[in-house]
Amino acid sequence: MSTEDEKRGRIPYRVSLRNQVRVCLLSIKYNIMREMLNKVTFMTNIFFMILNNGSFLIQWAVLFRLKGDIGGYTMREVMLLWGVCAASYGLAHILFARVFSLPELIINGKLDAYLVLPKNVLLGVMTSSTRTSAIGDFAYGLILACFCGVGVKGILLFLLLTANGAIIVTAFALLAGSLSFWFVRAEMFSERMVNAVVSFGTYPDGIFDGAAKFLLYYIIPVGMMVYQPVHILAEDVFGSLPVVVGYGLLLSAAAAAVFYRGLRRYSSGNLMAPRV
Amino acid sequence: MKVIEAENLSKTFRVKRKEKGMKGSIRAIFNPRTEEIKAVDGVSFSVDEGEVLAFIGPNGAGKSTTIKMLTGILYPDGGRVEVLGIDPIKKRKQLAFQIGTVFGQKEQLWTHLTPYDNFCFFGAIYDIPERETEKRIREIADVFELSGFLNTPVRNLSLGQRIRCEIAASLLHRPRVLFLDEPTIGLDPVVKESIRSLIRQMNREFHTTIFLTSHDIGDIEKLCRRIIIVNSGRIVLDEPMEYLKFSDEPLENIIMKIYQEKESVRQ
Repeated sequence: MSTEDEKRGRIPYRVSLRNQVRVCLLSIKYNIMREMLNKVTFMTNIFFMILNNGSFLIQWAVLFRLKGDIGGYTMREVMLLWGVCAASYGLAHILFARVFSLPELIINGKLDAYLVLPKNVLLGVMTSSTRTSAIGDFAYGLILACFCGVGVKGILLFLLLTANGAIIVTAFALLAGSLSFWFVRAEMFSERMVNAVVSFGTYPDGIFDGAAKFLLYYIIPVGMMVYQPVHILAEDVFGSLPVVVGYGLLLSAAAAAVFYRGLRRYSSGNLMAPRV
Repeated sequence: MKVIEAENLSKTFRVKRKEKGMKGSIRAIFNPRTEEIKAVDGVSFSVDEGEVLAFIGPNGAGKSTTIKMLTGILYPDGGRVEVLGIDPIKKRKQLAFQIGTVFGQKEQLWTHLTPYDNFCFFGAIYDIPERETEKRIREIADVFELSGFLNTPVRNLSLGQRIRCEIAASLLHRPRVLFLDEPTIGLDPVVKESIRSLIRQMNREFHTTIFLTSHDIGDIEKLCRRIIIVNSGRIVLDEPMEYLKFSDEPLENIIMKIYQEKESVRQ
């Protein structure tokens, strides 16, 4: 393959995809390296996030002493619930933290740096930032899964469902964040919606019914991100696994389509601000 | 050969209008008002390969908007644009392999990494094999005299060193057209001169077409062979530099007069 061909963008799709993945991985590596510049802050952020998440389990332990079953969940299921929710949210913020602040980039016209590069804009934006405390969330989720005694197969399944959960919450944040291409104040709505995912994702789905359950399965994707994965892990029933994975893929495709549709309305900006 | 061709290029932004005070804010909720602002209004021009062009105008004239449409950042509302025979909107990625951009007000380097690591990252972005990237880094470090701080994190570099690295990074993939949006903003006269000399050198050695916007008369006078002045989204002058150098009057005064004359004619 000649340099001319490369310059004209005539590289095979397989090579182009491999190069894109390489750039994404480099970007994620550099993000983590930046966070590690201050070792003390880096370590304490992770440690205190684990501690902070752990404190909520104490509340649940007290509740289960008073009542043996809450919404059909025992302590083990609640631990799995917290594990899936924290690990999915953590993984999404380790890899794709910038999506969660997408409205700020759109409103302040900060997408220029990604648009002048010969790589996928969306992936470039997504992988351009990380959050240290999210490593604590992910580690906490993994620790809880280990304590639930799901076995090696269960841990592998947990990791698959966590990755799918991370895709779902990222796609949802992308979908909500992309509304900023149309509405200036959509960032508040987007923030509330993403926060709702985490808030509802830490309570058993058995305590909700009717309209609330409909909302949690069809409007805010907590059902497919957290509840269904918990049922799969706790009950060893895999029937809904393809549905959960398919939902993640569909939501991602829809979110990417909305982002690219909105990008046509992007109006750039002249702020004096660094890229990272 | 024409490398840039723009025909009747236009871009309109819709801006919210609100009356003053709290009353105005409440009214804006129920009766929002917007106003259309023509940032670029039917601009047509072409640029030859190897040309060094100054694209200047007062603030809000439409310079940056035009550059952003030429580089695929913004969608034009009307008209036709081709850079190196490529439509920037339809084939943005393909075009990006062949052009370079430096926005003086925006950093594109990772500040916690060294220039060397940054260049490696840019090598990956432009699909340059690792060995070839290393070879090009050595060449660029020699030409731009970066060797002394190639392994110092960008955040610890002076502004002049950083801008040199920014320009070097944008040249790693050997672009045929380089868009420079105020590359010398905020630099001291010595560093400005060194940046200008680099731009001259890359135009001479690599025959790179330079599309420059700047408010610095020195940049325009010392680098460019042709000048396009835009005001209120329209081209008000497109001439060779000699056209403005016919009198002993300083170039700054001549340009100021053109800005004001054309503005009063428009009004």
